[in-house]
Amino acid sequence: MKIAVCVKHAVDETELKVDAGGNPQLKGAATRMSTFDKNAVEEALRLKAAHQGEVVIVTVGTPEAKKTMKEALAMGADRGVLVSADPMAIDTRRTAELLAAALKKGGPYDVVLCSEGSSDMYSGLVPPMVGELLDLPYVGYARRIEVSGQAAKVERALEDSVEVVEAPTPLVASVVSEINEPRYPTLIQIMQAGRKPVEELSAEALIPGAGQSVSLVRGMKAQAMARKRVVFEGPPEETAKKLLEALASEGVLPR
Amino acid sequence: MATYSAEQRRLMETFYPDHHEEYSEVLSSLGTFMEKELLPISPKIDTGEVKIAGPRKALLKQGMCQIAFPEEYGGLGLPFSVYAVAIEMLGTAEASTCLSVEIHNAVAEGLNRFATDAQKSRYLPGLLTGDSLASFTLTEPASGSDAGTMATTAEKKGGEYSINGSKMFITNAGEADLYLVFAKTKKGPSCFIVESPTPGLSFGGDLKKLGMRGSRTSEVVFSDCRIPEGNLVGEEGKGADYAKEILHGARIIVAALNVGIAQIAYEKSLAYARQRKAFGKTISEFQLIREKIADMKTDISAGRMLYLYASKVKESGADYSSEASQAKVFSTEMSLRVCDSAIQIHGGYGYTTDELHRHWRDARLLTIGEGTSEVLRLLIARRELARSQ
Amino acid sequence: MSVSVWAFSESPSVANEVASSASSIARAAGGSFTVIGLDDSGPLLAGEEKVVLKSDVPLSTSPEAAAGALAKFAREENPDVVLVGSTRDGKEIASRLAVKLGRPCVSEVFGASLGNGTLQGKRNVFAGKLVAEVAVPLPCVVALKVGTTSALPASEAAAREKAMGSLPSKTKLLEMREKQKGTVDLKGAKLIVAAGRGVKKKEDLAIVSELAAALGGAVGCSRPLSADMGWLPEEHHIGLTGVTVHPDLYIAVGISGQLQHVAGIKDSKVIAAVNTDKSAPMFEASDYGVVGDLYSVLPAMLRQIKARRQ
Repeated sequence: MKIAVCVKHAVDETELKVDAGGNPQLKGAATRMSTFDKNAVEEALRLKAAHQGEVVIVTVGTPEAKKTMKEALAMGADRGVLVSADPMAIDTRRTAELLAAALKKGGPYDVVLCSEGSSDMYSGLVPPMVGELLDLPYVGYARRIEVSGQAAKVERALEDSVEVVEAPTPLVASVVSEINEPRYPTLIQIMQAGRKPVEELSAEALIPGAGQSVSLVRGMKAQAMARKRVVFEGPPEETAKKLLEALASEGVLPR
Repeated sequence: MATYSAEQRRLMETFYPDHHEEYSEVLSSLGTFMEKELLPISPKIDTGEVKIAGPRKALLKQGMCQIAFPEEYGGLGLPFSVYAVAIEMLGTAEASTCLSVEIHNAVAEGLNRFATDAQKSRYLPGLLTGDSLASFTLTEPASGSDAGTMATTAEKKGGEYSINGSKMFITNAGEADLYLVFAKTKKGPSCFIVESPTPGLSFGGDLKKLGMRGSRTSEVVFSDCRIPEGNLVGEEGKGADYAKEILHGARIIVAALNVGIAQIAYEKSLAYARQRKAFGKTISEFQLIREKIADMKTDISAGRMLYLYASKVKESGADYSSEASQAKVFSTEMSLRVCDSAIQIHGGYGYTTDELHRHWRDARLLTIGEGTSEVLRLLIARRELARSQ
Repeated sequence: MSVSVWAFSESPSVANEVASSASSIARAAGGSFTVIGLDDSGPLLAGEEKVVLKSDVPLSTSPEAAAGALAKFAREENPDVVLVGSTRDGKEIASRLAVKLGRPCVSEVFGASLGNGTLQGKRNVFAGKLVAEVAVPLPCVVALKVGTTSALPASEAAAREKAMGSLPSKTKLLEMREKQKGTVDLKGAKLIVAAGRGVKKKEDLAIVSELAAALGGAVGCSRPLSADMGWLPEEHHIGLTGVTVHPDLYIAVGISGQLQHVAGIKDSKVIAAVNTDKSAPMFEASDYGVVGDLYSVLPAMLRQIKARRQ
């Protein structure tokens, strides 16, 4: 079975600093694999273990993305494909087109997995776009995937319901973070990850004019979080009293 | 808090300009594991609610004790200081587990240095993956710093040795699969591998300690405990030399452990000082608190640099016993200063919160264990006076 | 040349919310809007101009088929802006439409308006740490964040029906299980008390429920309690990948305040927190905080609430 996982190398939002004017300091910010991508990689590794095969990591990224690539390879993936482009400088459709082109070039894949959304932008658009572009069955928000023979049975987690859907392989799916607990790579795996092959593709060679797509994002600024941050300390009877009084004065306690 | 810090990264860059990226990847990954899997349960390990066996095994499986060992036995072949920094992070995340792991690792190092190839092939791989746990069995009820006066004996009887006597204050006793035991033969103190279970090998109850409560510490009793003669490590009569050599390395590690304990106590103090208000301000604005913060920070930086320097001297192959002793004496005493300041800064909460004062309780062991500060000061002074002649 | 806007969601209640946004956006730009529905949803939809797309099988059970129907109709009518509710299925439909029609697409947008041949709006990024301004050139497909506007009531106007012929779906729906809707609809709740990892045992959730009940509020939780430990069903999970809420009062009990959780409560009027850890990020995100053990503070609060009522 040949499994592809689309991942994104993203700025670590927990480490992102914002200056006094509310402007984010993106240049030089700490970066890492998008949080939920690990679940997609883990699911791919489980499929590989059950069905024999290989797991290929595909990403659209700058050279910095090699770090995320290495992390996924350390978890147990076999090789990687890096499409050189900055996902923050192009729009989601162009990112999906580049991924689809890379998948077509390296395919055919039996299963293509993505996360439910990247930890930086959380659009959730790229996976279904990839499915649409490749003209493959697409199942979103999978919390359980079972493949047998040429078909897959997928449980989808929606807002108000759970759907069980059947789809033939090859297929594209996005997974929710509840699907599994990603494994930690062991130190030996980390040290050996550097030896696994990573193919680099130019965006321009895949799609002429690829670099000309422009991001739809005009600017980003910190939310004005003007919370009062009043903190009460002391014995519970006292602090409980102070809290209730404060809430009453805000008019948010029921009569 | 346990993750690989910017300071540790900078030090590795300084010491290893060509290879630091690889070492940082390894340390960063271990740090993340420790922060997510060990740090949150650490308070419960202190109270006894959670046992260290499971977390310790998971950590060893990650590769904690493979770092500085040769690849042929399942090691990563990385420099000793990478292991030392990993220990500092573990000291921050979970001190009891750290103590248990460093003792285990010290035995593996001893075997790596002094055992035969056959013995190494038999025992090292299991120790490195954490499939088996080891215990360093030297100290006795009546012999500590003066290990030469040990009373445990090993008598040759046919193709076996019979070990008789008892050991005390042994870490991992009762849990370990392999004991590195020092006992006297006719030729003097010698070193043996004793596997558990073996008839004649028994253990006392877990001793109630001031700190490091997650780590099991007890008596080990040998009563005509028979082991094959092939379990002798190295040569009879050389046991004292082997023990000394193993302990020199362990002292660097203990120094790192205590720097780690000091680090977490310090970080908690910083956070508290920023929040706690008195006289209408946060206490971080008071000069006497700032003095403490500055001293704690400087102390920790110095401790870190000392153990890393001692590691580098060890790696070079030169005699590092003085550097190791300096690092241990300084860092163990320093960590007590820092943890004490941490209690002071936290005020009433410092005295009444187990989660905070346990750092001092954990740190308090190591001016005693693995070479008392007194004995090590003598070693340092002897070296200095020998040199100036 | 007036701008034409479509409002759509595969869920009629969300469709009416999108209709509300479409109404203000279109009116402000001097344009018109049409509400698009599927199958037999006509009577449930708001708006005066309604078109319901039909096929030989229900379109609402397949986002792929629904997108196919919408694309087919869009090629006939050429709406400048297609607004879709940013639900999970909605985002799939929007994505497919964007590819089929060759249009740009952005999701989770709020505060949208038209101007300079673009649709401008905002979206939360970096787990809610930042707000991004987006500008999408027309014609476009935009998925609007759910829960940011009140839904228009269903209108009595009749819906025009359009038969779309047979539409392919590569996947087959085998089963659909509605989630047990407990007594909880966090999205509309005015007062929420939420539990986090500070609660040590599942049984201890009782004290949190008690406080919620005493205040007439709903119970929520941070992700670990639903996803990891299964103490509460998923619909109680508040956060980036869970429910976004906007109550008047949100009380976080034993919640550390990770970004992923705070992202779901930003629009609360007043936020309060109880936590033993003075340095917990939750306090930075709160108006009022109590540093203390929930096991002592919550009973104290309950005692005082009861005393007040006497």
